[in-house]
Amino acid sequence: MEKTLTVCPYCGTGCKLNLLTENGKVVGAEAANGRTNEGELCLKGYYGWDFLNDTNLLVPRLKSPMIRREKSGKLEKVSWDEAIEFASSRLSSIKANFGSDAIMTTGCARGAGNEANFVMQKFARAVIGTNNVDHCARV
Amino acid sequence: MSNAITEIKDAKCLLIFGYNAGDSHPIVAKHILQAKANGAKIIVCDPRKIESARVADKWLQMKNGSNMALVNALANTIFAENLQDQAYIDKYTDGLEEYKKIISTYTPESVATITGLAPEDIRSVARLYATASESMILWGMGVTQYGQAVDVVKGLASLALITGNFGRRGVGCGPVRGQNNVQGTCDIGMLPNIYPGYQKVTNDAVREKFENKWGVSLSPNEGYKLTQMNHLVHDGKMKAYYIFGEDPAQTEADLAAFREMMGKLDLVIVQDIFMTQTAAMADVIFPATSWGEHEGVFSCADRGFQRFNKAINPPEGTKVDWKIFSLMATAMGYPMSYENTKEIWDEIRSLCPEYAGATYEKMEGLKSVQWPCTDEGDHDLGTSFLFEGNKFTTENGRGQLFASEWRPPQEIPDRDYPLVLSTVREVGHYSCRSMTGNCSALQTLADEPGYVQMHPLDAKSHGIKDQQLLWISSRRGKVITRANYNERINIGAVYMTYQWWIGACNELTIENLDPITGTPEYKYCAVKVEKIDDQSWAENHVQVEYSALRNKLRDVAKG
Repeated sequence: MEKTLTVCPYCGTGCKLNLLTENGKVVGAEAANGRTNEGELCLKGYYGWDFLNDTNLLVPRLKSPMIRREKSGKLEKVSWDEAIEFASSRLSSIKANFGSDAIMTTGCARGAGNEANFVMQKFARAVIGTNNVDHCARV
Repeated sequence: MSNAITEIKDAKCLLIFGYNAGDSHPIVAKHILQAKANGAKIIVCDPRKIESARVADKWLQMKNGSNMALVNALANTIFAENLQDQAYIDKYTDGLEEYKKIISTYTPESVATITGLAPEDIRSVARLYATASESMILWGMGVTQYGQAVDVVKGLASLALITGNFGRRGVGCGPVRGQNNVQGTCDIGMLPNIYPGYQKVTNDAVREKFENKWGVSLSPNEGYKLTQMNHLVHDGKMKAYYIFGEDPAQTEADLAAFREMMGKLDLVIVQDIFMTQTAAMADVIFPATSWGEHEGVFSCADRGFQRFNKAINPPEGTKVDWKIFSLMATAMGYPMSYENTKEIWDEIRSLCPEYAGATYEKMEGLKSVQWPCTDEGDHDLGTSFLFEGNKFTTENGRGQLFASEWRPPQEIPDRDYPLVLSTVREVGHYSCRSMTGNCSALQTLADEPGYVQMHPLDAKSHGIKDQQLLWISSRRGKVITRANYNERINIGAVYMTYQWWIGACNELTIENLDPITGTPEYKYCAVKVEKIDDQSWAENHVQVEYSALRNKLRDVAKG
């Protein structure tokens, strides 16, 4: 069994925990002696990890890029290259026709982390050209 | 939070205002218990007898929607009984005259009807808070999810100012942030008015710094807030929406209005780990890696930067979030590439003076660095409490006293909709539940359609038994949910948690936004409940609807 020291993905307390893995699967979590949690975890910290094993209890994991070619059509699986081309050309055309401020972007206050959010807002500000950046802080 | 979570146990008095740590932050609740064990006086202001209220020295069971009136009455009492720290006020604050003008009319007697509290109870709480050597305020969504929210936040901070409770260990103000990295999204400038590091987009020198680093010119105008989307889309000003790791189709207020807005957009991009209801509405889906499958830095509620690590490999077909953005940037003519998160973090540090010293090395293992941390040297390990020497982050460095007249919530109960609905948290599920709903132990604890907490007297007056299914509706929607008798809540109000698909309380909630933050009034709208006579039909209905929704999302995911 391997242990990976990490931070709980649920509330803002910032509890340190060890994810226990075996053969590439998460099998448990144990409390670590972090600054704020001092060796303790709550219910979600101890039992909130098995979504990583794609349990499909509630919602399926996304594993392929998808696009909807027409508004009335259905989502279909495509390659990364095609998805990026589809999304970037549509965004560029909206930017050209309606201006940068016609595009809204959000950050993610959950598992993505600060670096991912930094790159998102850089994409919005430097590439799209708008300060339309916001996130789910109000929820 | 001005002070560290670990300083809660150093306080001699805790004023817990609209904050239910037991459900939203169980480990913070342990720090509260530790404070109690250390002899701190505990005050809880909340309409419900939450866990902290059970151990409180004083529990004020205030009426929903009366926050500003109570805060003003506490300030009124402090001055009326000469309990303020006048030397501190004179030395470190501005605005006393205006402040006193407003609070002077808010005697405890004058707010008795609004708050439902006995004047003597308000007075005794004001005395406890003002006379302890170290007093700390903790608040949560019970303050911020009202149409009058920022006013109350400033009012609470002013209580700390007039009693000299800043700039030391065990004092200050703690807005205890909900999601694990919501402090981080603010720290990193995921807001329309600031760049990373709380630097204003309208400040020319700041903007020039970012322009030089990124080699492009940047917009000098503040962007739009998410909560303006409905109107912007309606007016034809907003055409595309790139949603990153959120499920607004579950979490926004007034979901019917949200769905209508989504239908009018030309392009919706969703980058997520699960096929949520929001993802199912997208025109483009980018499948991302999850927590556990990538690494980086989170900010916890008390400004603590901490590194999280990769434990397992992500599923084939997914990509790390920042690589997806880099691909999009490159495709749109701005070549972007990073080797790893450390390279990104170092760029953040180079642009944000407050984080400049918080290197990956200082966050090795169990270590945590609370910003500000301005120097890379080993002597600077961050800042446990802000405002040392009582220098504030205002333009003139002084604390600004602030009071505001109380405003009632927008939608007051009436004959048609006689109950208050307030949305709350439960301990076993998180946010939109796409993560916790896929965890077997947590799913076993609670499942669809969720619950509405009702006082037994309210439930019985409608002929509703404990655990029976019922209809609950507002002027905006109607959903089925299950009654959960709870004698610890106030009569006349009901409480629902917001992660359920079938019992989705956000079908009912109202948009009434705080004028500054744009946060909807999730804590207050008018609803009615109706008994369902045929319970076996209702049980079956819930199962049929739940299966249909689950199957729909599975079908969409198959492509």
